[in-house]
Amino acid sequence: MGRILLAAVAVVLVTILAMNAPTTTAPTSGTSHEIQPAQAEDKASLRALQARYKALSKQLAQLTPTQPYILVDTARNRLYVKRQDEIVLDAIASTGSGTILDKPGEGNNQWVFDTPRGEFLVKSKLTNPTWIKPDWAFVEEGLAVPQNAADRAEQGVLGDYALGFGKGYFIHGTLYTRLLGKNVTHGCIRLNDNDLKGVYKLARVGTPIMIF
Amino acid sequence: MNLCAILLLLIFAAPGWGKEPEAFPDLNPNNLHELKEATRVLEEELKLAARPQTYLLIDLGANTILIKGRGISLHQIPIVTWSAGPQEALKGVHRLMARPSVVRRKIEPGGGVEQEPISVADMPTDYMLSFTPSLNVTVIPSVANNGLLRGAVLLGKVGWHKVEDWVVRLFTEQPAEPSAHLRLTLTADHAQSLAWSLVDGMAIVIRRSSDK
Repeated sequence: MGRILLAAVAVVLVTILAMNAPTTTAPTSGTSHEIQPAQAEDKASLRALQARYKALSKQLAQLTPTQPYILVDTARNRLYVKRQDEIVLDAIASTGSGTILDKPGEGNNQWVFDTPRGEFLVKSKLTNPTWIKPDWAFVEEGLAVPQNAADRAEQGVLGDYALGFGKGYFIHGTLYTRLLGKNVTHGCIRLNDNDLKGVYKLARVGTPIMIF
Repeated sequence: MNLCAILLLLIFAAPGWGKEPEAFPDLNPNNLHELKEATRVLEEELKLAARPQTYLLIDLGANTILIKGRGISLHQIPIVTWSAGPQEALKGVHRLMARPSVVRRKIEPGGGVEQEPISVADMPTDYMLSFTPSLNVTVIPSVANNGLLRGAVLLGKVGWHKVEDWVVRLFTEQPAEPSAHLRLTLTADHAQSLAWSLVDGMAIVIRRSSDK
C-alpha cells in the first residue's frame, strides 16, 4: 500500500515538474535551444492560424463547381464554358442593351433591358424553341399587344436551342449575327448557331451560370 | 501490403498531387498579422461564396478588385493606388446601397433593332459607392496628364465627406466615429468596368493590407 502511495506521489511530482519545465523546440539546425514562453505562444498561434488558413482555403476551393459552368461577361459580350480553370468554350455573345421602354398606360413604369447579373442555374433545355413574344416586343415595334395568346408565338427566331435560366431569360440563337459582340438584347444572351450547339451539349439542367 | 504503401506514398508525393489550394498566393505564411487578416477574410468570404450570388473582394494586399462567385475569380480589376481612413473600420461584409446612376437611352417604339444601346463606355470613371454598414468607396481614374485637376477633385471629395460626417454627428448626436472610407485609383477603363459590374445590394469584403 505504502509503495503504491509513493509511486503515485512520484508520478504527480514528475508531472508537475514537466508542466513547469521551459518549453523547447525540436532542433532546427543541429543544436537545440530554449525559447521564451511568449515566443512559444506566438509560434503556437502561428501554427494554429496556418492550419486554419489552409482549412478555410480548402473549404473555399470546395465550393467551386466541379462540373462545367457558364461564365458571361456582359461588358465585353463574351460567354465562356469553363471546367475549373480551363476554358472549354469561348464565344462572342450579345447581352442586354440597358435601354428602357415606357409601359403604355402605366405612368412612369418602364421595362429595363439589362441582362441580370449574379449566379443562376440552367433551368431548362429546349430544342427548336418557339418564342412567345412578351408585351414589350409588340410595344417596341409600335404594335398593339394581341389578346390571343396564339398570336404571340413566333418560330425560328431563337435558333435551334435555348437554355432557360429563369424569369424569361434564355441563352439562345439569333438571326442578327452581325450584332454579336454588342449590347443589343432585351436581357437574353444570344450566340451564333455553332456556339449555341456547343453550350447546349456541355450544359445540363443545374449547370451554374455566373453573369457579371 | 508494403508495396501498396510505397506506391501510395509515391503517388501522393508526386508534384501536383496533394497541392493545397491557396486563397491568397501573395500571403506570407509566417506573418501572424497577415494570417489573421487572411483567415478573417476567408471566414467572411465562405459565407458569401456558399450562396448563389456574385460579390466583390477588394484585396488591398494584392492591389486587385475581384468579382467573385462560389469562390471563383470571375474578373480581376487592378488597383493603381489606394488610400484609406482607419483600416479597422474596413472589416466585415458591406452591402452596396448607392452607386452612380447611368443615363439610359429610351427606345422609341417602331424604331427598329439598331437603336443605340448603353455600353461600358457610358459608365462614369469618377464616382462614389455607398455601402452599409457605413462605408464609402471613392473611385477616381488615374489620369497622368490632368493630375492637378484630379488632385483638386479628390481633395474636394474628401473634404466634403469630412463636412458631411461632422454635420451628421452634430445633428444626430452620433459618437464621434468617422465613417469608413476607401479611395481607389483605377485606370479609366477599369473604373468603368467596375461601375458596369456592380449590382444593388452586392456584398463586398475587403482584405486589409499591413503595408499602409
